[in-house]
Amino acid sequence: MPEWLLKKDHYVPSIEKNTFINKSILSILKVLTKFKYNAKYKSNRFGVNTITKFISAILLIILVALSRSLGFIIIIDVYLLLIISLLNAEEIIHIFKLAIVVTIFTLIIFLPSFLMGNTNNSILIVIKTITTVTAVNITSSITQWNDITKTLKLFFIPDIFILVLDITIKYIVIFGEFSLNMLYALKLRSVGKNKNKTTSLSGIIGTMFIKSKEMAEEMYGAMECRGFTGEYKLHSKYKFRLNDILCIIINIGFIASYFYFVGV
Amino acid sequence: MILLIKMKNIYYSYDSGAYALKNVSLEIKTGESVAFIGPNGSGKSTLMKLINGLVNPESGSYTFEGSEINSKYLQNDLLLKSFHKKIGFVFQNSEVQLFCSNVYEEIAFGIRQMGMPEVEVQKRVEDILKLLKVEDLKHRQPYHLSGGEKRKIAIASVLVMNPEVLVFDEPMNGLDPESKRFLKELMVSLNKAGKTILCSTHDFEYVKGVFKRAVVFSKDHTIIRDGSYMEIMEDDNFLFNNNII
Repeated sequence: MPEWLLKKDHYVPSIEKNTFINKSILSILKVLTKFKYNAKYKSNRFGVNTITKFISAILLIILVALSRSLGFIIIIDVYLLLIISLLNAEEIIHIFKLAIVVTIFTLIIFLPSFLMGNTNNSILIVIKTITTVTAVNITSSITQWNDITKTLKLFFIPDIFILVLDITIKYIVIFGEFSLNMLYALKLRSVGKNKNKTTSLSGIIGTMFIKSKEMAEEMYGAMECRGFTGEYKLHSKYKFRLNDILCIIINIGFIASYFYFVGV
Repeated sequence: MILLIKMKNIYYSYDSGAYALKNVSLEIKTGESVAFIGPNGSGKSTLMKLINGLVNPESGSYTFEGSEINSKYLQNDLLLKSFHKKIGFVFQNSEVQLFCSNVYEEIAFGIRQMGMPEVEVQKRVEDILKLLKVEDLKHRQPYHLSGGEKRKIAIASVLVMNPEVLVFDEPMNGLDPESKRFLKELMVSLNKAGKTILCSTHDFEYVKGVFKRAVVFSKDHTIIRDGSYMEIMEDDNFLFNNNII
Protein backbone atom coordinates (compact mmCIF):
# COMPACT_ATOMS: atom_id res chain seq x y z
CA MET A 1 0.00 0.00 0.00
CA PRO A 2 1.61 3.35 -1.02
CA GLU A 3 2.36 5.65 1.90
CA TRP A 4 0.25 8.56 0.59
CA LEU A 5 -2.83 6.32 0.61
CA LEU A 6 -2.46 5.79 4.37
CA LYS A 7 -2.53 9.53 5.10
CA LYS A 8 -5.25 12.12 4.64
CA ASP A 9 -4.76 14.70 1.88
CA HIS A 10 -5.07 18.28 3.04
CA TYR A 11 -6.65 19.55 -0.12
CA VAL A 12 -8.48 22.85 -0.42
CA PRO A 13 -10.21 23.23 -3.80
CA SER A 14 -9.96 26.44 -5.76
CA ILE A 15 -12.86 28.38 -7.26
CA GLU A 16 -13.68 27.69 -10.89
CA LYS A 17 -16.61 28.88 -12.93
CA ASN A 18 -17.83 25.55 -14.16
CA THR A 19 -21.46 24.93 -14.88
CA PHE A 20 -21.25 22.92 -18.07
CA ILE A 21 -21.44 19.49 -16.35
CA ASN A 22 -24.49 20.47 -14.30
CA LYS A 23 -26.18 22.05 -17.32
CA SER A 24 -25.54 18.93 -19.42
CA ILE A 25 -26.85 16.70 -16.60
CA LEU A 26 -29.99 18.82 -16.29
CA SER A 27 -30.70 18.81 -20.03
CA ILE A 28 -30.31 15.00 -20.27
CA LEU A 29 -32.49 14.56 -17.18
CA LYS A 30 -35.19 16.70 -18.81
CA VAL A 31 -35.26 14.51 -21.94
CA LEU A 32 -35.25 11.30 -19.91
CA THR A 33 -38.02 12.56 -17.65
CA LYS A 34 -40.09 13.35 -20.73
CA PHE A 35 -39.65 9.82 -22.08
CA LYS A 36 -40.35 8.18 -18.72
CA TYR A 37 -43.35 10.43 -18.19
CA ASN A 38 -44.69 9.50 -21.61
CA ALA A 39 -44.20 5.78 -20.93
CA LYS A 40 -45.99 6.02 -17.57
CA TYR A 41 -49.42 6.44 -19.14
CA LYS A 42 -51.42 3.61 -20.60
CA SER A 43 -51.96 3.61 -24.33
CA ASN A 44 -55.74 3.91 -24.02
CA ARG A 45 -55.78 7.18 -22.10
CA PHE A 46 -59.27 8.75 -22.02
CA GLY A 47 -60.51 5.34 -23.18
CA VAL A 48 -59.71 6.30 -26.78
CA ASN A 49 -57.34 4.11 -28.73
CA THR A 50 -54.30 5.44 -30.53
CA ILE A 51 -55.64 5.04 -34.09
CA THR A 52 -58.70 7.15 -33.28
CA LYS A 53 -56.57 9.81 -31.57
CA PHE A 54 -54.08 9.90 -34.43
CA ILE A 55 -56.68 10.03 -37.23
CA SER A 56 -58.68 12.67 -35.31
CA ALA A 57 -55.57 14.84 -35.01
CA ILE A 58 -54.74 14.48 -38.72
CA LEU A 59 -58.35 15.25 -39.71
CA LEU A 60 -58.40 18.30 -37.43
CA ILE A 61 -55.15 19.62 -38.90
CA ILE A 62 -56.41 19.14 -42.51
CA LEU A 63 -59.75 20.86 -41.77
CA VAL A 64 -58.01 23.76 -40.01
CA ALA A 65 -55.58 24.14 -42.91
CA LEU A 66 -58.40 24.15 -45.51
CA SER A 67 -60.80 26.39 -43.63
CA ARG A 68 -60.92 30.14 -44.19
CA SER A 69 -63.60 30.67 -41.54
CA LEU A 70 -62.64 32.16 -38.17
CA GLY A 71 -65.87 30.75 -36.69
CA PHE A 72 -64.88 27.16 -37.53
CA ILE A 73 -61.38 27.59 -36.11
CA ILE A 74 -62.81 29.05 -32.90
CA ILE A 75 -65.02 25.94 -32.52
CA ILE A 76 -61.93 23.73 -32.91
CA ASP A 77 -60.02 25.88 -30.39
CA VAL A 78 -62.82 25.57 -27.82
CA TYR A 79 -62.76 21.79 -28.31
CA LEU A 80 -58.96 21.72 -27.83
CA LEU A 81 -59.22 23.90 -24.71
CA LEU A 82 -61.77 21.45 -23.35
CA ILE A 83 -59.31 18.57 -23.82
CA ILE A 84 -56.47 20.64 -22.31
CA SER A 85 -58.58 21.28 -19.21
CA LEU A 86 -58.66 17.50 -18.62
CA LEU A 87 -54.86 17.19 -18.63
CA ASN A 88 -52.59 17.63 -15.62
CA ALA A 89 -50.73 20.83 -14.75
CA GLU A 90 -47.33 19.80 -16.18
CA GLU A 91 -48.84 18.84 -19.53
CA ILE A 92 -50.86 22.07 -19.69
CA ILE A 93 -47.75 24.15 -18.98
CA HIS A 94 -45.81 22.27 -21.67
CA ILE A 95 -48.58 22.76 -24.27
CA PHE A 96 -48.99 26.47 -23.49
CA LYS A 97 -45.25 27.09 -23.51
CA LEU A 98 -44.98 25.70 -27.03
CA ALA A 99 -48.09 27.57 -28.16
CA ILE A 100 -46.61 30.86 -26.90
CA VAL A 101 -43.29 30.24 -28.68
CA VAL A 102 -45.10 29.42 -31.93
CA THR A 103 -47.33 32.51 -31.61
CA ILE A 104 -44.35 34.83 -31.16
CA PHE A 105 -42.48 33.23 -34.03
CA THR A 106 -45.48 33.39 -36.40
CA LEU A 107 -46.25 36.98 -35.39
CA ILE A 108 -42.70 38.02 -36.28
CA ILE A 109 -42.99 36.33 -39.69
CA PHE A 110 -46.34 38.02 -40.40
CA LEU A 111 -45.32 41.43 -39.09
CA PRO A 112 -44.72 42.87 -42.61
CA SER A 113 -48.13 41.55 -43.71
CA PHE A 114 -49.78 43.25 -40.67
CA LEU A 115 -48.03 46.49 -41.46
CA MET A 116 -49.16 46.30 -45.08
CA GLY A 117 -52.79 46.16 -43.88
CA ASN A 118 -53.50 42.46 -44.50
CA THR A 119 -54.70 42.10 -40.89
CA ASN A 120 -57.56 39.58 -41.14
CA ASN A 121 -55.69 36.96 -43.13
CA SER A 122 -52.59 37.34 -40.98
CA ILE A 123 -54.59 36.84 -37.76
CA LEU A 124 -56.30 33.80 -39.30
CA ILE A 125 -52.97 32.21 -40.22
CA VAL A 126 -51.51 32.88 -36.74
CA ILE A 127 -54.57 31.27 -35.09
CA LYS A 128 -54.44 28.34 -37.53
CA THR A 129 -50.77 27.75 -36.67
CA ILE A 130 -51.45 27.83 -32.92
CA THR A 131 -54.40 25.44 -33.36
CA THR A 132 -52.36 22.99 -35.42
CA VAL A 133 -49.39 23.01 -33.02
CA THR A 134 -51.70 22.60 -30.02
CA ALA A 135 -53.53 19.67 -31.64
CA VAL A 136 -50.21 17.92 -32.32
CA ASN A 137 -49.01 18.61 -28.77
CA ILE A 138 -52.17 17.28 -27.18
CA THR A 139 -51.93 14.11 -29.27
CA SER A 140 -48.29 13.63 -28.28
CA SER A 141 -49.13 14.27 -24.59
CA ILE A 142 -51.90 11.70 -24.39
CA THR A 143 -50.35 8.99 -26.56
CA GLN A 144 -47.40 6.71 -26.00
CA TRP A 145 -44.77 7.29 -28.66
CA ASN A 146 -44.39 3.64 -29.55
CA ASP A 147 -48.16 3.49 -30.12
CA ILE A 148 -47.89 6.45 -32.50
CA THR A 149 -45.20 4.64 -34.49
CA LYS A 150 -47.47 1.58 -34.76
CA THR A 151 -50.32 3.66 -36.19
CA LEU A 152 -47.99 4.67 -39.03
CA LYS A 153 -48.76 1.20 -40.42
CA LEU A 154 -52.17 2.57 -41.42
CA PHE A 155 -50.44 5.01 -43.73
CA PHE A 156 -48.62 2.19 -45.56
CA ILE A 157 -45.30 3.04 -43.93
CA PRO A 158 -43.09 -0.10 -44.17
CA ASP A 159 -42.90 -2.20 -40.98
CA ILE A 160 -39.11 -2.09 -41.02
CA PHE A 161 -39.22 1.72 -40.88
CA ILE A 162 -41.57 1.53 -37.87
CA LEU A 163 -39.13 -0.92 -36.21
CA VAL A 164 -36.29 1.56 -36.75
CA LEU A 165 -38.38 4.33 -35.14
CA ASP A 166 -39.18 2.11 -32.14
CA ILE A 167 -35.53 1.19 -31.71
CA THR A 168 -34.56 4.87 -31.96
CA ILE A 169 -36.94 5.80 -29.12
CA LYS A 170 -35.61 2.90 -27.02
CA TYR A 171 -31.98 3.89 -27.56
CA ILE A 172 -32.55 7.57 -26.81
CA VAL A 173 -33.49 6.44 -23.29
CA ILE A 174 -30.66 3.87 -22.99
CA PHE A 175 -27.96 6.27 -24.22
CA GLY A 176 -29.48 9.11 -22.24
CA GLU A 177 -29.04 7.09 -19.05
CA PHE A 178 -25.54 6.01 -20.10
CA SER A 179 -24.40 9.56 -20.84
CA LEU A 180 -26.04 10.77 -17.62
CA ASN A 181 -23.96 8.30 -15.62
CA MET A 182 -20.83 9.36 -17.51
CA LEU A 183 -21.51 12.98 -16.63
CA TYR A 184 -22.08 11.96 -13.01
CA ALA A 185 -18.71 10.17 -13.04
CA LEU A 186 -17.06 13.26 -14.53
CA LYS A 187 -18.71 15.46 -11.91
CA LEU A 188 -17.52 13.23 -9.05
CA ARG A 189 -13.94 13.44 -10.25
CA SER A 190 -14.04 17.15 -11.05
CA VAL A 191 -12.60 18.20 -7.72
CA GLY A 192 -10.43 21.06 -8.94
CA LYS A 193 -9.69 23.10 -12.03
CA ASN A 194 -10.25 21.30 -15.31
CA LYS A 195 -8.27 23.11 -18.00
CA ASN A 196 -9.47 20.76 -20.74
CA LYS A 197 -13.23 20.68 -20.31
CA THR A 198 -13.76 20.11 -24.02
CA THR A 199 -11.41 17.10 -23.96
CA SER A 200 -13.48 15.49 -21.18
CA LEU A 201 -16.68 16.11 -23.09
CA SER A 202 -15.26 14.79 -26.35
CA GLY A 203 -14.09 11.71 -24.42
CA ILE A 204 -17.67 11.13 -23.31
CA ILE A 205 -18.99 11.60 -26.86
CA GLY A 206 -16.32 9.23 -28.25
CA THR A 207 -17.16 6.58 -25.67
CA MET A 208 -20.85 6.94 -26.49
CA PHE A 209 -20.08 6.47 -30.18
CA ILE A 210 -18.12 3.26 -29.56
CA LYS A 211 -20.82 2.05 -27.17
CA SER A 212 -23.58 2.71 -29.73
CA LYS A 213 -21.64 0.79 -32.40
CA GLU A 214 -21.17 -2.14 -30.04
CA MET A 215 -24.80 -2.16 -28.98
CA ALA A 216 -26.01 -1.96 -32.58
CA GLU A 217 -23.85 -4.97 -33.49
CA GLU A 218 -25.05 -6.90 -30.43
CA MET A 219 -28.69 -6.11 -31.17
CA TYR A 220 -28.38 -7.15 -34.80
CA GLY A 221 -26.73 -10.39 -33.63
CA ALA A 222 -29.58 -11.01 -31.19
CA MET A 223 -32.14 -10.32 -33.93
CA GLU A 224 -30.40 -12.73 -36.31
CA CYS A 225 -30.37 -15.41 -33.59
CA ARG A 226 -34.13 -15.00 -33.32
CA GLY A 227 -34.60 -15.53 -37.03
CA PHE A 228 -34.47 -11.96 -38.37
CA THR A 229 -33.76 -12.00 -42.09
CA GLY A 230 -34.38 -8.36 -42.97
CA GLU A 231 -38.17 -8.52 -42.97
CA TYR A 232 -40.26 -7.46 -40.03
CA LYS A 233 -43.98 -8.03 -39.57
CA LEU A 234 -45.77 -5.77 -37.17
CA HIS A 235 -48.94 -7.04 -35.54
CA SER A 236 -51.18 -4.61 -33.78
CA LYS A 237 -54.62 -5.17 -32.30
CA TYR A 238 -56.93 -2.33 -31.49
CA LYS A 239 -60.23 -2.48 -29.66
CA PHE A 240 -62.91 0.08 -30.36
CA ARG A 241 -64.74 1.29 -27.27
CA LEU A 242 -67.64 3.65 -26.61
CA ASN A 243 -65.27 6.62 -26.30
CA ASP A 244 -63.84 5.85 -29.75
CA ILE A 245 -67.34 6.01 -31.22
CA LEU A 246 -67.92 9.29 -29.35
CA CYS A 247 -64.67 10.64 -30.78
CA ILE A 248 -65.70 9.60 -34.32
CA ILE A 249 -69.07 11.33 -33.85
CA ILE A 250 -67.26 14.53 -32.79
CA ASN A 251 -65.07 14.24 -35.91
CA ILE A 252 -68.16 13.87 -38.13
CA GLY A 253 -69.50 16.98 -36.38
CA PHE A 254 -66.34 18.87 -37.28
CA ILE A 255 -66.58 17.80 -40.94
CA ALA A 256 -70.23 18.93 -41.02
CA SER A 257 -69.44 22.28 -39.38
CA TYR A 258 -66.53 22.77 -41.80
CA PHE A 259 -68.92 22.50 -44.77
CA TYR A 260 -71.50 24.62 -42.94
CA PHE A 261 -68.97 27.44 -42.50
CA VAL A 262 -67.80 27.04 -46.11
CA GLY A 263 -71.38 27.77 -47.14
CA VAL A 264 -71.80 30.78 -44.82
CA MET B 1 -14.39 6.12 15.71
CA ILE B 2 -15.97 9.41 14.65
CA LEU B 3 -19.47 9.71 13.24
CA LEU B 4 -19.10 10.19 9.46
CA ILE B 5 -22.52 9.74 7.88
CA LYS B 6 -25.87 10.27 9.51
CA MET B 7 -29.15 9.75 7.67
CA LYS B 8 -32.47 10.47 9.29
CA ASN B 9 -35.86 9.50 7.86
CA ILE B 10 -34.73 9.70 4.24
CA TYR B 11 -37.37 9.38 1.55
CA TYR B 12 -36.58 9.42 -2.15
CA SER B 13 -38.86 8.78 -5.10
CA TYR B 14 -38.34 8.61 -8.86
CA ASP B 15 -40.10 10.83 -11.40
CA SER B 16 -42.73 8.12 -11.80
CA GLY B 17 -43.69 8.64 -8.14
CA ALA B 18 -42.46 5.18 -7.04
CA TYR B 19 -40.38 5.20 -3.86
CA ALA B 20 -36.75 4.11 -4.05
CA LEU B 21 -36.00 4.80 -0.39
CA LYS B 22 -38.51 4.91 2.44
CA ASN B 23 -37.77 6.16 5.93
CA VAL B 24 -34.08 5.26 5.80
CA SER B 25 -32.11 6.12 8.92
CA LEU B 26 -28.54 5.01 9.58
CA GLU B 27 -25.25 6.10 11.07
CA ILE B 28 -21.80 5.18 9.74
CA LYS B 29 -18.55 5.85 11.58
CA THR B 30 -15.09 6.41 10.08
CA GLY B 31 -13.19 3.24 9.27
CA GLU B 32 -16.30 1.03 9.16
CA SER B 33 -16.88 -1.53 6.42
CA VAL B 34 -20.57 -1.82 5.64
CA ALA B 35 -22.35 -4.05 3.14
CA PHE B 36 -25.73 -2.96 1.80
CA ILE B 37 -27.72 -6.01 0.80
CA GLY B 38 -31.21 -6.53 -0.52
CA PRO B 39 -33.14 -7.80 -3.53
CA ASN B 40 -33.00 -6.08 -6.94
CA GLY B 41 -34.73 -2.70 -6.98
CA SER B 42 -34.71 -2.35 -3.19
CA GLY B 43 -32.95 1.04 -3.33
CA LYS B 44 -29.30 0.12 -2.72
CA SER B 45 -27.95 1.90 -5.82
CA THR B 46 -30.10 4.97 -5.10
CA LEU B 47 -28.64 5.08 -1.59
CA MET B 48 -25.13 4.90 -3.07
CA LYS B 49 -25.97 7.87 -5.33
CA LEU B 50 -27.46 9.76 -2.40
CA ILE B 51 -24.36 9.18 -0.27
CA ASN B 52 -22.32 10.67 -3.14
CA GLY B 53 -24.58 13.69 -3.44
CA LEU B 54 -25.76 12.80 -6.95
CA VAL B 55 -29.39 12.85 -5.87
CA ASN B 56 -31.01 14.72 -3.01
CA PRO B 57 -33.54 13.23 -0.60
CA GLU B 58 -37.16 14.24 -0.96
CA SER B 59 -37.42 14.52 2.81
CA GLY B 60 -35.21 13.70 5.76
CA SER B 61 -31.64 14.74 6.34
CA TYR B 62 -28.22 13.48 5.27
CA THR B 63 -25.22 14.68 7.22
CA PHE B 64 -21.59 14.07 6.25
CA GLU B 65 -18.88 15.01 8.79
CA GLY B 66 -21.42 17.23 10.53
CA SER B 67 -22.49 19.19 7.41
CA GLU B 68 -25.95 18.64 6.01
CA ILE B 69 -25.68 17.56 2.38
CA ASN B 70 -28.59 19.15 0.54
CA SER B 71 -29.08 21.01 -2.74
CA LYS B 72 -27.97 24.29 -1.13
CA TYR B 73 -24.72 22.74 0.13
CA LEU B 74 -24.04 21.12 -3.24
CA GLN B 75 -24.57 24.42 -5.08
CA ASN B 76 -21.47 25.81 -3.39
CA ASP B 77 -18.66 24.90 -5.80
CA LEU B 78 -15.94 24.73 -3.13
CA LEU B 79 -17.97 22.63 -0.71
CA LEU B 80 -19.07 20.34 -3.54
CA LYS B 81 -15.50 19.72 -4.72
CA SER B 82 -14.26 19.19 -1.19
CA PHE B 83 -17.11 16.70 -0.59
CA HIS B 84 -16.41 14.78 -3.81
CA LYS B 85 -12.70 14.65 -2.92
CA LYS B 86 -13.56 12.87 0.33
CA ILE B 87 -15.90 10.27 -1.20
CA GLY B 88 -14.94 8.04 -4.10
CA PHE B 89 -17.66 6.21 -6.01
CA VAL B 90 -17.11 3.12 -8.13
CA PHE B 91 -20.14 2.74 -10.39
CA GLN B 92 -21.89 -0.54 -11.08
CA ASN B 93 -21.03 -0.15 -14.76
CA SER B 94 -17.33 0.76 -14.96
CA GLU B 95 -17.65 1.80 -18.61
CA VAL B 96 -19.39 5.03 -17.63
CA GLN B 97 -16.39 6.06 -15.53
CA LEU B 98 -13.84 5.89 -18.31
CA PHE B 99 -13.69 8.78 -20.74
CA CYS B 100 -10.00 9.61 -21.25
CA SER B 101 -7.77 8.64 -24.17
CA ASN B 102 -5.58 6.16 -22.26
CA VAL B 103 -5.31 4.51 -18.88
CA TYR B 104 -2.59 6.85 -17.60
CA GLU B 105 -4.64 9.96 -18.47
CA GLU B 106 -7.74 8.35 -16.97
CA ILE B 107 -6.08 7.79 -13.61
CA ALA B 108 -4.31 11.17 -13.63
CA PHE B 109 -7.54 13.08 -14.45
CA GLY B 110 -8.67 13.80 -10.88
CA ILE B 111 -5.31 14.52 -9.27
CA ARG B 112 -4.23 16.84 -12.07
CA GLN B 113 -7.28 18.97 -11.32
CA MET B 114 -6.17 19.16 -7.71
CA GLY B 115 -3.15 21.11 -8.95
CA MET B 116 -0.67 18.40 -7.98
CA PRO B 117 2.84 18.76 -9.53
CA GLU B 118 3.35 16.43 -12.52
CA VAL B 119 6.09 14.49 -10.67
CA GLU B 120 3.64 13.69 -7.87
CA VAL B 121 0.91 12.84 -10.42
CA GLN B 122 3.25 10.37 -12.10
CA LYS B 123 4.25 8.83 -8.76
CA ARG B 124 0.65 8.37 -7.65
CA VAL B 125 -0.48 6.90 -10.97
CA GLU B 126 2.39 4.44 -11.00
CA ASP B 127 1.80 3.47 -7.35
CA ILE B 128 -1.86 2.80 -8.07
CA LEU B 129 -1.12 0.84 -11.25
CA LYS B 130 1.28 -1.30 -9.19
CA LEU B 131 -1.20 -1.71 -6.33
CA LEU B 132 -3.87 -2.93 -8.74
CA LYS B 133 -1.35 -4.98 -10.74
CA VAL B 134 -2.22 -3.29 -14.03
CA GLU B 135 1.09 -1.62 -14.94
CA ASP B 136 0.98 -3.20 -18.41
CA LEU B 137 -2.29 -1.38 -19.19
CA LYS B 138 -0.75 2.08 -18.70
CA HIS B 139 -0.87 3.09 -22.38
CA ARG B 140 -3.96 1.14 -23.42
CA GLN B 141 -7.25 2.77 -24.42
CA PRO B 142 -9.76 2.25 -21.58
CA TYR B 143 -12.57 1.33 -23.93
CA HIS B 144 -10.77 -1.69 -25.36
CA LEU B 145 -10.08 -3.33 -22.01
CA SER B 146 -11.86 -6.40 -20.68
CA GLY B 147 -14.63 -6.07 -18.06
CA GLY B 148 -12.30 -6.93 -15.15
CA GLU B 149 -9.60 -4.55 -16.40
CA LYS B 150 -12.14 -1.73 -16.81
CA ARG B 151 -13.30 -2.28 -13.23
CA LYS B 152 -9.70 -2.13 -11.98
CA ILE B 153 -9.02 1.10 -13.90
CA ALA B 154 -12.27 2.64 -12.60
CA ILE B 155 -11.19 1.76 -9.04
CA ALA B 156 -7.68 3.10 -9.72
CA SER B 157 -9.06 6.41 -11.05
CA VAL B 158 -11.04 6.84 -7.82
CA LEU B 159 -8.40 5.51 -5.43
CA VAL B 160 -5.66 7.77 -6.80
CA MET B 161 -7.53 10.75 -5.37
CA ASN B 162 -7.09 9.22 -1.91
CA PRO B 163 -10.71 9.52 -0.75
CA GLU B 164 -11.55 8.85 2.87
CA VAL B 165 -14.69 6.92 1.96
CA LEU B 166 -14.99 4.41 -0.86
CA VAL B 167 -18.43 3.55 -2.16
CA PHE B 168 -18.76 0.47 -4.38
CA ASP B 169 -21.98 -0.30 -6.22
CA GLU B 170 -22.12 -4.06 -6.96
CA PRO B 171 -18.33 -4.25 -7.54
CA MET B 172 -18.26 -8.01 -8.14
CA ASN B 173 -20.75 -7.92 -11.04
CA GLY B 174 -19.35 -9.42 -14.22
CA LEU B 175 -15.92 -10.25 -12.80
CA ASP B 176 -14.15 -13.58 -13.07
CA PRO B 177 -13.26 -15.44 -9.82
CA GLU B 178 -9.64 -14.25 -9.83
CA SER B 179 -10.67 -10.59 -10.21
CA LYS B 180 -13.26 -11.06 -7.45
CA ARG B 181 -10.65 -12.49 -5.08
CA PHE B 182 -8.31 -9.62 -5.94
CA LEU B 183 -11.02 -7.03 -5.31
CA LYS B 184 -11.92 -8.64 -2.00
CA GLU B 185 -8.30 -8.49 -0.83
CA LEU B 186 -8.06 -4.88 -2.00
CA MET B 187 -11.16 -3.87 -0.02
CA VAL B 188 -9.79 -5.58 3.10
CA SER B 189 -6.42 -3.81 2.69
CA LEU B 190 -8.07 -0.43 2.12
CA ASN B 191 -10.25 -0.85 5.19
CA LYS B 192 -7.18 -1.80 7.25
CA ALA B 193 -5.49 1.34 5.90
CA GLY B 194 -8.29 3.36 7.53
CA LYS B 195 -10.67 3.87 4.60
CA THR B 196 -14.38 3.62 5.19
CA ILE B 197 -15.82 1.02 2.80
CA LEU B 198 -19.48 1.10 1.78
CA CYS B 199 -20.61 -1.49 -0.71
CA SER B 200 -23.84 -2.77 -2.17
CA THR B 201 -23.54 -6.41 -3.15
CA HIS B 202 -25.24 -9.65 -4.05
CA ASP B 203 -22.09 -11.70 -4.22
CA PHE B 204 -21.81 -12.94 -0.63
CA GLU B 205 -19.39 -15.78 -1.37
CA TYR B 206 -16.61 -13.45 -2.50
CA VAL B 207 -17.01 -10.72 0.11
CA LYS B 208 -16.64 -12.96 3.18
CA GLY B 209 -14.31 -11.32 5.65
CA VAL B 210 -14.55 -7.84 4.09
CA PHE B 211 -17.48 -6.42 6.06
CA LYS B 212 -18.17 -6.20 9.75
CA ARG B 213 -21.62 -4.74 9.39
CA ALA B 214 -24.56 -5.33 7.04
CA VAL B 215 -27.57 -3.16 6.33
CA VAL B 216 -30.43 -5.10 4.79
CA PHE B 217 -33.04 -3.51 2.52
CA SER B 218 -36.42 -5.05 1.85
CA LYS B 219 -38.29 -4.97 -1.45
CA ASP B 220 -40.37 -2.19 0.18
CA HIS B 221 -37.28 0.09 0.09
CA THR B 222 -36.87 0.22 3.86
CA ILE B 223 -34.06 -0.98 6.11
CA ILE B 224 -35.22 -4.16 7.81
CA ARG B 225 -32.05 -5.13 9.59
CA ASP B 226 -28.79 -3.50 10.57
CA GLY B 227 -26.19 -5.53 12.44
CA SER B 228 -23.21 -7.84 12.37
CA TYR B 229 -22.47 -9.08 8.83
CA MET B 230 -21.64 -12.59 10.03
CA GLU B 231 -24.79 -12.90 12.14
CA ILE B 232 -27.00 -11.79 9.27
CA MET B 233 -25.24 -14.11 6.82
CA GLU B 234 -25.83 -17.05 9.13
CA ASP B 235 -29.57 -16.33 9.39
CA ASP B 236 -30.63 -18.38 6.36
CA ASN B 237 -34.35 -18.11 7.10
CA PHE B 238 -34.21 -14.32 7.21
CA LEU B 239 -32.15 -14.12 4.00
CA PHE B 240 -34.40 -16.58 2.16
CA ASN B 241 -37.65 -14.89 3.27
CA ASN B 242 -36.34 -11.55 2.04
CA ASN B 243 -35.21 -12.80 -1.38
CA ILE B 244 -31.52 -12.33 -0.62
CA ILE B 245 -30.40 -15.96 -1.05
